[in-house]
Amino acid sequence: MDKKYGVYICTGCSIGDVLDMEDLVDVPDEEGVNCTTHPFLCSKEGVAMIQKDVDDGKVNAMVIGACSRRVNFDVFDFDNCIVERVNLREGVVWPHSREKYPALTEDQKDDEEHFDQIQMKAEDHIKMGMIRVEKVKLPEPFKTETFSKKILVLGGGITGISSALDAAKAGYEVTIVEKTNALGGYAARMRSQMPVVEPFDALIPTVIQDKLAELEQYPNIEVKTGTEVARIAGQPGEFTVTFKKPGEKIPFDVPFPLPEEMTLDEKGNELDAETQHAKYLEYNEGREDILQLDPDGELYGAVILAAGWRPDKIEGDAYAHLGIDLPDVITNDEFEKIAAKGKIVRPSDGKEAKSVVFIQSPGKDEDDADFPYCGAVTSQVALKQAKYVRDDYPDGKAYIIYQHMRTPGLQENFYKGIQQDRGIFMSKGAVTEVSKSGDNLIVEATNTLLGDNLNLKADLVVLASGMVPVTVDDPVVNLAYRQGPGFRDNDIFGGYADSNYICFPYETQRTGIYAAGAIRRSMTIEESMEDATGAALKAIQCISSADRGVAVHPRSGDQTYPEFFFQRCTQCKRCTVECPFGALDDDEKGTPKINPTRCRRCGTCMGACPERIISFADYTIDSIGSQIKAIGVPSEDDYDEPPFRILALVCENDAYPALDMVGMNRVDYSPDVRVIPVRCLGSVNTIWIKDALAQGMDGVILIGCKHGDDYQCHFVKGSELAEVRVKKIGDALSSLALEEERVRFEEIAIDEYDKLPGLLSDFVEEIEDLGPNPFKGF
Amino acid sequence: MSEKYLAQPDLAFIDEVVGFGAEDLKKCYQCATCSVACPIAPDNSPFPRKEMIAASWGLKDKLISNGDIWLCHQCGDCSDLCPRDAKPGDVLAAVRYAAINEYAQPKFLANAVKDPKKLPFLLGIPAIWFAILAYITMTGGDAMTKLFHNFGLEWSHGGHDVIAHANFISTWFVDLTFVPLAAFVVIVFGLGLKRFVADIHANAVAEGKTDKKTLDLKGFFQAIIKVLPTVLKHDKFNECTTNQDRATPHMMVLYSFIGLFVVTNIFFVVLYVFHLPGPYSQLNPVKWLANISGAALVIGSVLMIKNRMDKKDQVSSYKDWYILGLVLALGVTGLLTEMSRLAGSEYISYFIYYLHLIAIFNLFAFLPFSKMAHLVYRFTAMSYAEYGNRK
Repeated sequence: MDKKYGVYICTGCSIGDVLDMEDLVDVPDEEGVNCTTHPFLCSKEGVAMIQKDVDDGKVNAMVIGACSRRVNFDVFDFDNCIVERVNLREGVVWPHSREKYPALTEDQKDDEEHFDQIQMKAEDHIKMGMIRVEKVKLPEPFKTETFSKKILVLGGGITGISSALDAAKAGYEVTIVEKTNALGGYAARMRSQMPVVEPFDALIPTVIQDKLAELEQYPNIEVKTGTEVARIAGQPGEFTVTFKKPGEKIPFDVPFPLPEEMTLDEKGNELDAETQHAKYLEYNEGREDILQLDPDGELYGAVILAAGWRPDKIEGDAYAHLGIDLPDVITNDEFEKIAAKGKIVRPSDGKEAKSVVFIQSPGKDEDDADFPYCGAVTSQVALKQAKYVRDDYPDGKAYIIYQHMRTPGLQENFYKGIQQDRGIFMSKGAVTEVSKSGDNLIVEATNTLLGDNLNLKADLVVLASGMVPVTVDDPVVNLAYRQGPGFRDNDIFGGYADSNYICFPYETQRTGIYAAGAIRRSMTIEESMEDATGAALKAIQCISSADRGVAVHPRSGDQTYPEFFFQRCTQCKRCTVECPFGALDDDEKGTPKINPTRCRRCGTCMGACPERIISFADYTIDSIGSQIKAIGVPSEDDYDEPPFRILALVCENDAYPALDMVGMNRVDYSPDVRVIPVRCLGSVNTIWIKDALAQGMDGVILIGCKHGDDYQCHFVKGSELAEVRVKKIGDALSSLALEEERVRFEEIAIDEYDKLPGLLSDFVEEIEDLGPNPFKGF
Repeated sequence: MSEKYLAQPDLAFIDEVVGFGAEDLKKCYQCATCSVACPIAPDNSPFPRKEMIAASWGLKDKLISNGDIWLCHQCGDCSDLCPRDAKPGDVLAAVRYAAINEYAQPKFLANAVKDPKKLPFLLGIPAIWFAILAYITMTGGDAMTKLFHNFGLEWSHGGHDVIAHANFISTWFVDLTFVPLAAFVVIVFGLGLKRFVADIHANAVAEGKTDKKTLDLKGFFQAIIKVLPTVLKHDKFNECTTNQDRATPHMMVLYSFIGLFVVTNIFFVVLYVFHLPGPYSQLNPVKWLANISGAALVIGSVLMIKNRMDKKDQVSSYKDWYILGLVLALGVTGLLTEMSRLAGSEYISYFIYYLHLIAIFNLFAFLPFSKMAHLVYRFTAMSYAEYGNRK
């Protein structure tokens, strides 16, 4: 592309009032780049002016100095043009006022004492924008060699069937794979279920039969029962799937990565790549490598993971006080099986169970935690099963002892409906003991709504065991990915298949695999059916995006993908290992293989690469590095007391919009900070930090999303990796005789934008206390 | 830590309380807004939150013997603020009625009073009884005069030239009906109260609502003396601020009953000690008291009925209408008897007097079984709360 540069600066929204436009226009002018100002650039006339220049062939790489790139992105959208938005409004003139930073008089302009911090910031940002358009390329979308629009649904329960129906209704071809010999899942084995439609106040017959009947009407749904997935290879749009009978051993069973202890020699040192590969082959003998595609495999575009759950086993000393070894102390799952068979009877002697105590939390009065993998469902199941007791026996009594009674949404009506039954008794409480007394069980509870030391006589005790997502036991998806067949970081999500349950439901940590139902969170049938729709839509979105060669999420529509300069690759595997989405595979030597449609474009590989050979068309080590170098760093040669220069690398997901909000609220922070948005802190390559300090900048701050328990990173691991990398840079800094404190890592949630100004100002103050960077002026 | 408590829900009890007007009790989800809203609930184990769960669990043992249910004056603040519309105020009223029913003996009478289907019997028995007495009085005057002379007593208390109700139903008959009835009522109450006091004490000890270990009668009587002015002034009633429109009519009815009780006793003495039969002069100050009380009874009960009818959100069941109807009937028939007598309509006056006697009989004989019994139980429970330092 033969670039033709142009700069457009808007003088509206007080930009023209605060800044000295003549001086600002001089910046591109001095570079010989045409610069046009407009009082209302986002107006029809303003946009038409730019469009005319584009149409006339005068410009195709432009800098627009106006508002934040988070607004008017649809207005300043010119086909086949590189557009860089310089944030003069939210980033410069709104947070910093002329009351605080008065404009310079003509005399002051030339002395070595005064400088205009706002003007300096604006000019730096224009320079940074200009160098970026010079450095980046226009992206070209990636196209897979083969392409399938078929959707594979793993699991033939209510969720899988519902999502298959939804996808089929949207015109997609669907295959349902079910491990057992019949469709229906758990729902087909229940007596009744919680309501799914208005008025949500009573039990209904299970809806699964209707769903199964509906399935018959769609010829575009193929059902494979008694089948499981041996492996899913490839990438979204061209997943090659090998099926097999459960338990069967075949060459296309997915290989597992070497366990960590096997990658080390006796002394604990890491083995070299070749030995490791040999061991890997030995470990997976009889199984083809992940890069070997099954010639008989079937092609699918996306996968819906609806493999569901299994009932949790309640065992161990922690539950000994609940009498778990007594025959009449059972789980809700066992109770459901009894109920499905007929009247509620005791497993020990088959006698009618007319007094049943449902225990929702392990209690012991130590904490109020429920059983593992419990949730709103187990509360509602207790309500449902209490009703069974009452339906079977007019003089029956059902007690529910809970720490939490969760009936979200309209299920509150269900709670209210069940509550009306005279023979259902509920109380919060901690169960301290379940014991046998004669023919009965005695349940002791404390801290109840009826006071301390409540005793209940029961024929049967039911424990609310949770719904364990099957991904806890087994990878299920069996992905032929170098990082392994399952989801690597499910531990962050308590074993559930998830990637960011707040912002991106249905998305797992593997692009193209969308989770729905109890695999994602314990869910009722009603919730699972709704979830199924979401996952089906997500799978369709993925197929459609992959078909157009753009990212699905979170950078929807992004046409870039990582590109490698392989000549310099040292096969260190860092990119393969650190990618949060397993997008990179590698060959036996460790050379990475990119699967672009698996990629979410976070740039974590780019941040990881020590050789800096990974780049995206419009986001490279050089493009950001050059932006940093474009920042003016005044020294004592320029001013008696030169201003400090701080670089802020800000995550575009939460931190950058938060900073925009600071501007919108006209809250001031140090104008000596220069802000560069990054795709994710995971994409920050430490070379940028080193370069910034080497050129005399006084400090670098990285602001990204929270990780850990309050995890909010949009790319699962990015901010966490960035923090590790920043810690490691400390040693390098001390070798340069620079203080570690000059580099700071901060996490911020979008709703904490009000903390940002203080956080930045504190950092700047600390840097000022450390004094200027000794490299300044070299 | 209190003793282990074995909860034994009683489904029939739940049905019973629901039938007494607690139809929404199962809606409670134990947020305790009611206990916070209640202006008179004590700080230590406040009501009615705990009564609500005990009721929805059908724990009869925790409710019937619970003195707290009597401390409530049913202002309805809790019911107004209840987010689930479980109407705790009405639940407590129903539970109180269940308690009255429990302590009243004999059981068959208690069961008859709470059952609307038995109302014809309750009215019919005195109707037949007084009809017989009227027949004897009207037709058997000579025989009775002879009979009474054998005991040295004067049969007739009636005048000869004025309308005197003694000529319709002999005062002897009236008093020979009501004096033994009064004794019966006192005995029924006495037996009920004996159990009641022991029970509420045991309950208060078990639930840690009192600092007294034993029940000391002297202290208890002192408490009664202390509580009396509170009751007479309706102090607790008025603490329920939203209740003030109910407090005045209630006070009118209470004072008119006291007034009529005083009048009846004075005239009893006047008749049997001083041998001065009625009707008495309208100038007599005792008559004034009687007339004022009668008017207050009518006005008070009309206001109370109106109050209940206006409050659409409050549950009013048979137990409420029975007693209110009776009180109004009592006042109205009493006044009309007097007015028709003064107007000279002899037979109209006699007929209304007949109705009046039926009303009195119902109110009086069934006092320990009807909602009216609250005057005894509430007073006792309030005295116990005073005694037991319920705070």
